[in-house]
Amino acid sequence: MSRSVKLFAFLATAGLLIAACGDSGPSAPGAQQSAPGTAASPAPAAPAAGRPAPGGTLTFVLENDVINFDPLVSRAFVDRNVHYQIYDSLVRIDAAGKIIPWLAEKWEFSDGDKTVTLSLRKNVTYHDGTAFDAESVKWNIDRYRTAKGSARSGELASIDTVEVVDPSTVRFKLKAPFAGLLANLVDRAGMMVSRKAVEAGGEDFTRKAFRAGTGPFILTEAIKDDHMTLEKNPNWWGTDKDGNKLPYLDKITVKPITNSDVRLTNLKTGDAHVGNNIAGKDVAGVKAEGTLVYQEKPGLSFASIIPNRAPGFVFEDARYVRAVSMAIDRQEIHEKVFFGVGAIGYGPIAPPHFAFDPAFKPFPKADADGAKKLVAEVGKGALTFEFLVSSGDPQTLQLAQLIQAQLAKAEITAEIKQLQFSEILKLQDEKSFKGATLIGWSGRIDPDGNTYDHVFTDRPFNDSSYSNADVDKALDEQRATTDEAKRKAALRKAEQTMVVDDPARIWYRFGVAQLITVKALQGLEPYPDQLIRFQFAWLKK
Amino acid sequence: MTQYVIRRLLLMIPVAFLVTIIAFGLLRLAPGDPVLVYAGEERDPVSLQELRVLYGLDKPLPVQYIVWLQHAVRGDLGRSLRTRQPVSEAIIERLPATLELGLAAIALSTSIALIVGTIAAVKRNSFVDLLTSSITLAAVSLPNFFLGLILILVLGLALRMFPPGGYVPFLEDPGDNLRRLVLPAITLATASMAVNLRQVRSSLLDVFSHEYIRTARAKGLRESTVIARHAMKNALIPIVTLIGLQIGSVIEGAIITETIFFWPGVGRLLVDSITGLDYPVVQAVVLVSALSFMLSTLAVDMLYAWLDPRISYGRSRT
Repeated sequence: MSRSVKLFAFLATAGLLIAACGDSGPSAPGAQQSAPGTAASPAPAAPAAGRPAPGGTLTFVLENDVINFDPLVSRAFVDRNVHYQIYDSLVRIDAAGKIIPWLAEKWEFSDGDKTVTLSLRKNVTYHDGTAFDAESVKWNIDRYRTAKGSARSGELASIDTVEVVDPSTVRFKLKAPFAGLLANLVDRAGMMVSRKAVEAGGEDFTRKAFRAGTGPFILTEAIKDDHMTLEKNPNWWGTDKDGNKLPYLDKITVKPITNSDVRLTNLKTGDAHVGNNIAGKDVAGVKAEGTLVYQEKPGLSFASIIPNRAPGFVFEDARYVRAVSMAIDRQEIHEKVFFGVGAIGYGPIAPPHFAFDPAFKPFPKADADGAKKLVAEVGKGALTFEFLVSSGDPQTLQLAQLIQAQLAKAEITAEIKQLQFSEILKLQDEKSFKGATLIGWSGRIDPDGNTYDHVFTDRPFNDSSYSNADVDKALDEQRATTDEAKRKAALRKAEQTMVVDDPARIWYRFGVAQLITVKALQGLEPYPDQLIRFQFAWLKK
Repeated sequence: MTQYVIRRLLLMIPVAFLVTIIAFGLLRLAPGDPVLVYAGEERDPVSLQELRVLYGLDKPLPVQYIVWLQHAVRGDLGRSLRTRQPVSEAIIERLPATLELGLAAIALSTSIALIVGTIAAVKRNSFVDLLTSSITLAAVSLPNFFLGLILILVLGLALRMFPPGGYVPFLEDPGDNLRRLVLPAITLATASMAVNLRQVRSSLLDVFSHEYIRTARAKGLRESTVIARHAMKNALIPIVTLIGLQIGSVIEGAIITETIFFWPGVGRLLVDSITGLDYPVVQAVVLVSALSFMLSTLAVDMLYAWLDPRISYGRSRT
């Protein structure tokens, strides 16, 4: 009894503190959620007063239907919203973006960072009753590495062999040290799936991954384009700081709704209780809505203009790319197109990354005269380029038109051409687009995932056909060590080159991780990866 | 009669064949690479090439078509590129939602059209007639994507009378299912209701001018009997044609409405599959929708014979 009184007092104080933080909703700055149940970690902060009560059902609106439940073939961001509830990964991140223990309680790099040894959580079972152990880890990692058409093989390319040391210890031998490996194990490449469920499901597994994970919720139903049902896993290993079993909720209904207006309407009418994606134009309205709580946090995603820098194309000359980067007004884009949601950005390394430098502002103001001078220096007359914009998306067109107007001030002509998204993708993949395109990136936990494949010579996402020996060298350096200070130095050097000295792209903004909840829903806060940790959620009665 | 039906059914085969060739050709003309669309942020070239081989997209187009056709004639419409769900399962899963919406809309539009159309015809040039004429004109002119949004805004959001979108299976919660059906059904019904109403009015007026109606009235029959027994059955033929065609085009008719109201039917499946370049799904939906149109035209022709014994498909006509 006395414990509950103390708990209540603590939570009430926390609530008051947060209430005092201002009118932007309980964003609980500094509150860090950590792996539940791990001895050293702080307990999940409840961002409002009250005592977590078990039970309850809620509806979660998603921006699209889940395409693949099987992490092996999943390629869409939206899939991860459900993956994170039904599967556990070997490691996870906390709300600040730091890697924390999950199914692996400990990890150790040895042999010059070429060997990683993981100690696994014991007494964990999959929803179908089979045991989770080192054999299971080996089977999963080998499947992700070698299965035909695997979407995970790239993320695990650094692994040479997986060895089972004993039932709760597994060892990865790497081909070469790779600092980003652990971050890759946070997401789908580290998600553990029941072998029995996969083998029984066959080709249908990816649509019917029922009782296949070890996560806090169990997928029991999936009706295409309509809804998915996640039921509480009563045997989940996680507990809150008082030792109460997580998760609290009995059931989550996940509803895919592609139209952001309809999604918002469902939240406003109370048909849905939580969402993690609304348009910038709606944020002010949601904050004003008395029934909803809006929280946001800097995200890992970036937006960029991609010039084709291959020989023979307009942007082969780096000075042209730099001129465009100087001429655009990032502040105006941020305010007019994105309604101040998100952050102004100059490069690929995002605010939650350890290698982020808030002082890195190479183009603090639009500089039309400077851009004109650079274009004149090239000496080929006025700069004109074809600007590909995906059709059918009014916001993207508006963005492109604003950029066009900003560039016109520096006498640079962007000729907007609207094409089907699939067609732009193809031109980009063939590197045959003439001028520039507008493409974003959802972001990765490790800065390596936001840089390497995008700018390193001939890598898959290097759509600007960029190649710079210094950048390649610095990026290889940061991969080869787990020393964060050394990595940061190399990444800062690479970013300076790829953004300013020999620009690969024109980066202009970072995204945000949003969370919209009804008032009664407690315990949640946004994570940099934008995914919701429903194990902490509870409903105020 | 039986012979006629068999001949009509046989004629459907070449038509369906042509439809599949056109659908296949047009889809492949659309720019883009389905594997790239599907790849999203995982564009590892090795893995993508493996997918192309896995899905048979690396083969020449005629070979791809023949492979598809060989499977299709055996009833195997393939699997969705994106979700790996068997296409026939995907369509069957969504058919109840589409049929429910389509039939509700047709029932709504037909019943209103018959009642109001008859009143407008009987009270020709009256205030009621003028009012219905102007309302129907407005209803035909109002595109359903616009009407749908207005209904969501007013009845769904401002007055909160009906849910703004979504679908709940009837067996799960009949009340909720019907509540969610109201707005999309009105949206879908409005335009066809207006067309049907005009048709009911004008064909009744046409029948009223015939001599047998005058005879019926001269016999001293009550006006209601004259309308119901004598006029209506003869006025029905053009109306049946219209409604029959509306039933046949239930899938393509609901595409926009299903998209606006987040109604998980075949129409929305088609829209999603076109933007995602999901070839097998688009091909199958086009084929199914063409077949349903052809079957409904046949059914309409059969109905004619029942409504008007003068129409016969027997040997004498051929």
